[in-house]
Amino acid sequence: MTQEVSTSLQFVFSCPLSSGLHARPASHLAEVVNQFASDCTLTNLRNGLMANGKSVLGIIAADIRYSDQCAVRVSGEDEHSAHAALRQFVAEALPLCDVPLAVSAAPIRSNTPPRPLKAAGVSCSFGVPVSRGIAHGKVVIVSRMTLPSSLSTPNKTDSQKELDHIKDAVAAVRRRIGEKLKYSITPAGTAVLQADLAMASDVFLVEKLTEQVLRGKSAGQAVVETGEFFIDLLRHSDNEYVRERSSDIEEICLQLLEEIYGASPGSAPVALHEPSVVVAETLAPQQLLELDRRWLKALVLEYSGSTSHAAILARSLGIPTLVGVRNARLVLPPGSEVVVDANRGLVVSYSLAAVRRFYGREQQTLQRRRELWSRQTEKPAITLDGQRIDVAANASSVEELVIAFENGADGIGLFRTEMIFLGREYPPSEEEQFAIYAEAARTAGGRPVVIRTIDIGGDKRVPYLNLPPEENPFLGYRGARIYAEHHQLLQSQLRAILRASALGQVQIMAPMISSLEEIVQFKDAIIQAKQHLIRNGMPFQPDLKVGIMVEVPSVAFILDQLCSEVDFFSIGTNDLSQYFFAADRNNSKVNELFSVRHPSFLRFLKQIVDQIRLAGKWVGMCGEMAADIRNLPLLVGLGLREISVPAVEVREYKRTVSRLYASDCGVMVERSIASAKVLEVDGLLGQQPLQAAQPLLARELILLGSTSKNKEEVIQEMVDAFYVASRTEDRHLLEEALWAREAVYSTGLGYGFATPHCKTDAVAADSICVLRLREPINWDSIDGERVRMVVLLALRNSEVANNHMQVFSTLARKLMNEDFRQHLLEVETADEATTYLAAQLGTAMTGER
Amino acid sequence: MKIVAVTACPTGIAHTYMAAARLEKIAKNFGHEIKVETQGAMGIENRLTENDIRQAHIAIFAVDIEVEERERFNGVKVIQVPLQEALKNPENIFSKLQH
Repeated sequence: MTQEVSTSLQFVFSCPLSSGLHARPASHLAEVVNQFASDCTLTNLRNGLMANGKSVLGIIAADIRYSDQCAVRVSGEDEHSAHAALRQFVAEALPLCDVPLAVSAAPIRSNTPPRPLKAAGVSCSFGVPVSRGIAHGKVVIVSRMTLPSSLSTPNKTDSQKELDHIKDAVAAVRRRIGEKLKYSITPAGTAVLQADLAMASDVFLVEKLTEQVLRGKSAGQAVVETGEFFIDLLRHSDNEYVRERSSDIEEICLQLLEEIYGASPGSAPVALHEPSVVVAETLAPQQLLELDRRWLKALVLEYSGSTSHAAILARSLGIPTLVGVRNARLVLPPGSEVVVDANRGLVVSYSLAAVRRFYGREQQTLQRRRELWSRQTEKPAITLDGQRIDVAANASSVEELVIAFENGADGIGLFRTEMIFLGREYPPSEEEQFAIYAEAARTAGGRPVVIRTIDIGGDKRVPYLNLPPEENPFLGYRGARIYAEHHQLLQSQLRAILRASALGQVQIMAPMISSLEEIVQFKDAIIQAKQHLIRNGMPFQPDLKVGIMVEVPSVAFILDQLCSEVDFFSIGTNDLSQYFFAADRNNSKVNELFSVRHPSFLRFLKQIVDQIRLAGKWVGMCGEMAADIRNLPLLVGLGLREISVPAVEVREYKRTVSRLYASDCGVMVERSIASAKVLEVDGLLGQQPLQAAQPLLARELILLGSTSKNKEEVIQEMVDAFYVASRTEDRHLLEEALWAREAVYSTGLGYGFATPHCKTDAVAADSICVLRLREPINWDSIDGERVRMVVLLALRNSEVANNHMQVFSTLARKLMNEDFRQHLLEVETADEATTYLAAQLGTAMTGER
Repeated sequence: MKIVAVTACPTGIAHTYMAAARLEKIAKNFGHEIKVETQGAMGIENRLTENDIRQAHIAIFAVDIEVEERERFNGVKVIQVPLQEALKNPENIFSKLQH
């Protein structure tokens, strides 16, 4: 037997990251090292600092900055493979490790209070919203958890005993975090806890703790001093993200102390007893999770980091949160009642009458907008002749799925999963995938979510798949074709999807199926995943529906066979049309050959749809053809009863469906497939009565009986009406455009009338808004009279040349006519007002009946 | 008296047309014949022709901005007032004309 001599292997690299080897790249590096038994030492040749490659904290502590030379030494039984893996990681993956964190911070507004508050002389504090919403409650100040500077602990007795204490405490803290991970319900929360777990398990941390004890410190003192060492180290980083991690390590140390002493020597958890706004310099995730969610209404932090774990958690829990509020703990007295407006980015005392009035009205506005919005979006889309069309959405993330449902989607027709697999060095775990699919299923609340299994080919760089570059990746090794080789990858995804099916109406869809064998194999893989789950006692929906993408033309000729194998079909036109015409969409020399409205392609689609419907199976479309709303009459005419479209456009599709006759669409498709060329089809489409532009008048824009008390409130109320009617998404911009015009000279034109007006693209459509006051108000009118009637004209900037200007000028002239004014002053209902105006101005109107 | 007039305001959405309507009405009350050109968001409307201007005894500009193609009015007596004047006290403008 030969003794294996361990010779260390070494290489040097130059740090390629502009912000240095900070926490995230360090954790990737440590992840690679930890796969091997060999030891690994990193030496920063600039400052001589050495680090254990298995410790994230150690690597951060070596302070490796951009272009620093670093020596990596590996030694141990598997040093050759470790060395090779590290070299590859440093060369290929490390330069890509610096992708910025996704932070959905709202845009920062100028720091001015809303007009009505400003007019009332109210002053506010401003901050950056990191989680939207408005809430009010009493101020509760939470001081940050800090490590005690000294501990009155007995001198240590026995270092072995103290080491045991430390070991037990570390194990207990890891268990504690592990326990929380099990109940984590959001991906963001899971990520935060996983980072904490990694930190609590860090070898460098344990090493430092041990070192302190061996120097004669008690377990508690060792924790305090180790904590201070790391906090100091991280706080001096140039990198904001690394600095924010110092509070994470502090929290871990506090938890260790808690384990050692049985109670936290830091601040005791804060108990909330009434609706509360928690104000703090900064908040540890642990502190946030301990607050009573029933009473925690909003968070105000002085600290400005939007990537802090507290900010991420608050967002995932939907708690309105402002960060970067200067001196919040000084200006917001404990026990005082405040409103946190995390839409506008301000916090203001709720005890002022003007504030109560403003936010009371705001609440009504938001309520009305929600009601009108859901009345309009929840309605199913039904054609004028009674054919229901399900409008589903395509989504690649839970965020997009939320947007889809806000827009009234009837389901998710295509949930792409590629994003979960791309841009990383290792495949996502089953748990990570499950967290995402489960949240998707829960968010859908009973509406179907079709999850498509991974669809990746040689055009994407995915290190762990080792897909060879190909001459023509679209005709190559991709989609379901890679499943046989990457069996484990598919299995973990199928298990994650199946587990999510226990929580909602989840369906599975396979991409790039071109033959019967492939779908049979795919179904076998599902059976295998189900068996695994049964063995492990995990729930799933046993009769979960399985479908395929129709995107390879060969499928069209075996539909009869496929119909007995799968539950549904979804037509993906992007690839189908490309393969059908043998023309690359991105090649300008041939893309003219290519049109989804070509009669030949329409015939092909019609065959597919007819055959599937004849077999009694379900067929929808999720491709680009469906993403162009102009094609909608064709899709309805082809007999598709479900289409899946971009999330933000669902509402527009539903509106458009309700303006079509399905029978007309059918006739049009018949005529289209009999045509000779695309132009003729386009001509036929053009004759279809599609979306009518939003009319100038709407009942929601007629406000009779206003109780506004001044000009600021009137303009606010009218702008709010635009918001309620979804005619503006940017109230601030619209309001300021109106005030800019008022600044030239007052629009009070005399006779008790005012006509504020503006040209701005902050409005979605040219609009007339009318408001009649109960009590007349001052408007600095030219005749000095108070104003009772306000007629607001808003014109879009981009389409000045349109015919609405004619209506506006007619209205302006009519306002000079006494009979017209008198009539407006005397109308009794909004309906009467719109009817009268429509007749006088010769224009159409709309509105909720 | 034959009068020509031009109205124009900053946004050209509302006041241009209100002033035009007002001038037309009050001129009639005074027994004048008037033609009002509007220079608003739709550009020049009810354009004053060379003939209109030549025959006019006077031109009234009720404007807050520069009059477009002003050279057309060379050699004509012009009274220029802020547009608000045409809404506030149009009678004043016309009674001045009597003298």
